[in-house]
Amino acid sequence: MMPPNVIPAVDPNPLPAPYWVFKLLLLVTFFLHIVAMNFLLGGGVLALLSKWRSRNREGGNRLFLDVAKRLPVLLPATITLGIAPLLFVQVLYGQFFYTSSILMAWPWFLVLVLLTIAYYGFYYASYRGGRPGGRAGEVMLLSVILIFLVGFLFSNNLTLSQTPSRWAGKYFADPAGWNLNLAEPALFPRFLHFFTAAVAVGGLFLVFVALANWKRDQEYARQILQFGGKAFMYATMAQFVVGIVFLVSLPRDQRMLFMGDNPLATILLLIGVAGGGGGIFLMSDALRKENLRAAAFLVPGILAVVIACMSVMRDLLRDAYLKPYFHPGQFAVQTQWSVLPLFLVLFLAGVILWLGMLKRYGLLGSK
Amino acid sequence: MNYPVWEVAFGAGLLMALVAILHVFVSHFAVGGGLFLVVTERRARRKNDLALLEWLKAHTRFFVLVTVVFGAISGVGIWFTIGLIGPTATSNLIHAYVWGWAIEWVFFFVEITAALLYLYGWDKLEGRLHEWYGWVYFIAAFASMVIINGIITFMLTSGSWVKNHRFWMGFFNPTCFPSLAFRFAIALALAGIYALITASVQRDAALKARLVRWAAWWIVPSLAVLPGLGWWYIRWIPAEVWADARGAMPTATQFAWFAVLLLAVTFALALLALARPGRVRLAFSLLVALAALGAMGSFEFVRESIRKPYVISNYLYANSLYAATIPGDGGFSVDEVNAAGILQSAKWVRNRDLAKSDPAAVGREIFRLECESCHTLDAYRGVKHYLALRQWDQNKTQVMLGSLEFMHNGVMPPFAGSNAERGALAAYLSTVQPVPGAAAAEAGDGRTVFEQNCSMCHRLSAGGPLFKDLPQDPSAAGKALKDLTSLFPLMPDLKLPERQRLALAQWINTQRSAKGSGSATQGGNGK
Repeated sequence: MMPPNVIPAVDPNPLPAPYWVFKLLLLVTFFLHIVAMNFLLGGGVLALLSKWRSRNREGGNRLFLDVAKRLPVLLPATITLGIAPLLFVQVLYGQFFYTSSILMAWPWFLVLVLLTIAYYGFYYASYRGGRPGGRAGEVMLLSVILIFLVGFLFSNNLTLSQTPSRWAGKYFADPAGWNLNLAEPALFPRFLHFFTAAVAVGGLFLVFVALANWKRDQEYARQILQFGGKAFMYATMAQFVVGIVFLVSLPRDQRMLFMGDNPLATILLLIGVAGGGGGIFLMSDALRKENLRAAAFLVPGILAVVIACMSVMRDLLRDAYLKPYFHPGQFAVQTQWSVLPLFLVLFLAGVILWLGMLKRYGLLGSK
Repeated sequence: MNYPVWEVAFGAGLLMALVAILHVFVSHFAVGGGLFLVVTERRARRKNDLALLEWLKAHTRFFVLVTVVFGAISGVGIWFTIGLIGPTATSNLIHAYVWGWAIEWVFFFVEITAALLYLYGWDKLEGRLHEWYGWVYFIAAFASMVIINGIITFMLTSGSWVKNHRFWMGFFNPTCFPSLAFRFAIALALAGIYALITASVQRDAALKARLVRWAAWWIVPSLAVLPGLGWWYIRWIPAEVWADARGAMPTATQFAWFAVLLLAVTFALALLALARPGRVRLAFSLLVALAALGAMGSFEFVRESIRKPYVISNYLYANSLYAATIPGDGGFSVDEVNAAGILQSAKWVRNRDLAKSDPAAVGREIFRLECESCHTLDAYRGVKHYLALRQWDQNKTQVMLGSLEFMHNGVMPPFAGSNAERGALAAYLSTVQPVPGAAAAEAGDGRTVFEQNCSMCHRLSAGGPLFKDLPQDPSAAGKALKDLTSLFPLMPDLKLPERQRLALAQWINTQRSAKGSGSATQGGNGK
C-alpha cells in the first residue's frame, strides 16, 4: 500500500458554503450533464445505426439527418452542463482530481482536441448531411468515436482519482503524464455501463424526436418511435448483464455497499433495477399499443428517477473508494454571505431568462 | 510538491501560453462580436439593407463556429491546463472564487443558448425578437467577461485580499476596472477584425467596400483609445512590478515592445483598409488578424511575465509554494520548507534521504519540484542555456541558488530547502551543463566577469550601488569585492579570484565615466 502522505493537502481557503451545498450542486449538475451526454452519444450512435442499417430505406437516412441537425446543440449543452460538475468536483475532491489528471496529463489534455474535432464534425454533418455526395455519415462516425474516446478518458481519470494507492507507482514510472488507468479491473465494466446507458437514453431521445414529428408525418414518426423504443429496451436489457459485471468488478467492500452494507446504496440499486425493468415493460407495452404518451413521458420519467439514483450511487461509490483519505469534516467552512445570495438570485434569474428564451423561440410549445 | 509536477519536455508554460492566447483571441471576439452583430443588424434593418442582412446571417454562422465551438472548448481548455500545470493555484482560485465561477457559469449558459437561438433564429424570428436574442447574448457575454476579468486581475494585483481574504476585496482589485476597459476595447476591435475576414471574401465589390469600411470603423477607434486605457492600466500596476517590462526582465520588455509594435501595425493596416475598402482581400484580412493575434498574445505574455515570481501576487509563487506561512498551507510555505527541507516536505519525491542517495539524482527531483513549473532543461526557459551563459561551476551554482529571489528584478521565487538540498540541486545542474572549476574562473575581462557574476541582480545605473558605493580606486574596489556578504548581507558568498575582482573594478570604472550620468543600460540578462 501507498504511504498516505502522497494525498495532497487542501489549500488554505475555507469552503465558501457548507459541504452539502456543493454536494447537492455536484449531484444535480452531474445529472443534467449525463443526460445531455447520453442524448448526444446515444443519439449519435443510433442515428448512424439507422443510416447504415437501412441503406436503401428513406426513413433511416431521414432520421440520421434529423438527429444530425440536433447534435451541434447537444454537444455545447453537454459541455456547458459539464462545466458545473467539473467546477464542483474540484471544490470537493480537487486534491484527488488534479492529481489523477496530472498522472494522465497528455491523454487528459487530448480531451480538448478530440472535443474540438468532434464538434466541427457534428457541424459538418448537420450542414452537409442533406446534400448528395457528402461524407456526413463518415464524418459523424468519426465524431461519435471521438466522443466515445472522451468518455473513456473520463472513466480513466475518475477511476484513477479514487484509487490513490496506484498514484505513486504510475507517477514515478512516467512523470511526463502518459499514464492511463487500464489496470483498474472496474475500468472497462464501468465505461461499458455508462456507454450502454447512453444508448438506452439515446433511444429515449429518439422517442422525443418521434414526438416532435408526430403531427407532421406520422408514418415517419412511427418508424422512429419503434426504432428508438427498441433501442432503449435492448440496451436496458444489456444493462442487466453489464451492470452485474460492473458490480462484480468492484472491490469487495465497495460491492457490498450495494448488497446490504449501506442501506441507502442498496435501496437505490433496487430502485434502479426495478426502474430499468419497469421501463422495459412499459416501453414494450407502449410500442405495441403505440401509446406515445407512455413512451415519451412515463418511461423517461421513470428513467429520470433511475438516472438520479445512479448518480447518487456513483457518488456513494466514490466516497467509499476515498474513505481512507477523505472526510467531509476535513474542510473548514466559512460561508461567503457576501456572494452566495448574489449567485442564487442570478441563478434564478438565469433560469427564468433561459426559459423565456426557449418560450419566445417557440420551443416550449406555447407559441 | 504538494501535487506531482507534470514534466513537459518543451515547457509547460509554453503549452499554457498556447492554449490561453488562442482562447483570449476568440473569447474577446465573443464579447465584442456580440455587440457587433446586434448593432449591425439594427442598422441593416433600419436602412432596410437586405445585402447587409444576408451577409450578417452568414457572419453569424462564422461567429458561432468560432466562438461557441472553439471559444467554449478552449475556455474549458484553460481550466484543464492550469489544473495540470498549477494545481495549487487552481485549487486556491476555485475555493476562494467558486461563487464567482458559478455566477460566470450562469452567464455562460445563457450566452451559449442565446448564441445558438440567434443563429438558428435568422430564418424563424421576426426582426425585433431576433435582435432581442442578440442583446441577451451580448449582455451575458459581457457579464461573463466582467467576472473572469475580476479574477484574472486579482491574480496580478491581489490588493488587500492577501490580508483579509474577502471575495470582493480581491475581485475589485486595483487593476480590475482598467483591465476591463482595456479588454473591452480589444473586444470591439476584434469584432471588426473578424468581420473583415468574412467581408473580404464577398464577391459583390460595392457590398464588400461597405462591409470593410463598417468593419474598419470598429477597429480604428477601439485601437486608438487602447494606448490611453493601457496607460490607465499600467498606472495601477505597482511600479516595481511594471519595472519588469521596462527593462528589468528582458523577455517581458521584449514582448511589451512587440505588443506596442504589433498594435501599431494592426492600426495602420486598419487605416489602410478604411482608405481602400474595395481592395481588401482575404490574405490582407488574415494579415490584420495575425498582427492582432501577435499584439494580444504579447500583451497577455507580458501580464503573465510581470506577475512572476507569483501566480497569485504576494500569495502563491509560480512553483506552488506560499509566500508566507498561513494556517492550512500544508507546510508548503517557503519558510516551512526551509525549516523542514524539501525532501521531508514534498509528497511527490522518491529519494528522501540525501545521505543514502546520489546527490545529482536527488537534485533532479528537486529541480522538478521547485523549478519545472517555469523551466525546462534545454527548451523553453531552458536552464542549460542560462548556465552556459554564466559559466558557473557546481560551487558557484550552489552559492547563486541562494539568491534566486534577487535575480532579474525578483522574477524567481527564493530557493526553498536546506543547504544540503541546494547542494544537490547544484550537483544536478552541473550535470546538465558541466563547467569545470577552472573554466568558471577563466574569464579575464571585466565585462564578462560582470555578466557572469553580477548582471542577474545588478544593473549599471547612476544611483545603483555599483557606481555609488564601490570605491573608485581599482585595488580598493577589488579588496571590497573580496567579501561580498560583509558589503551587504544578502549578497551571495562568492569568492572571485583577485584577477577577476580587479578586472571587474576597472571595467566598472570605465562604465562609470561612460554612463555614470545615464540611467539603466544593462538589462538583467547581460546580453
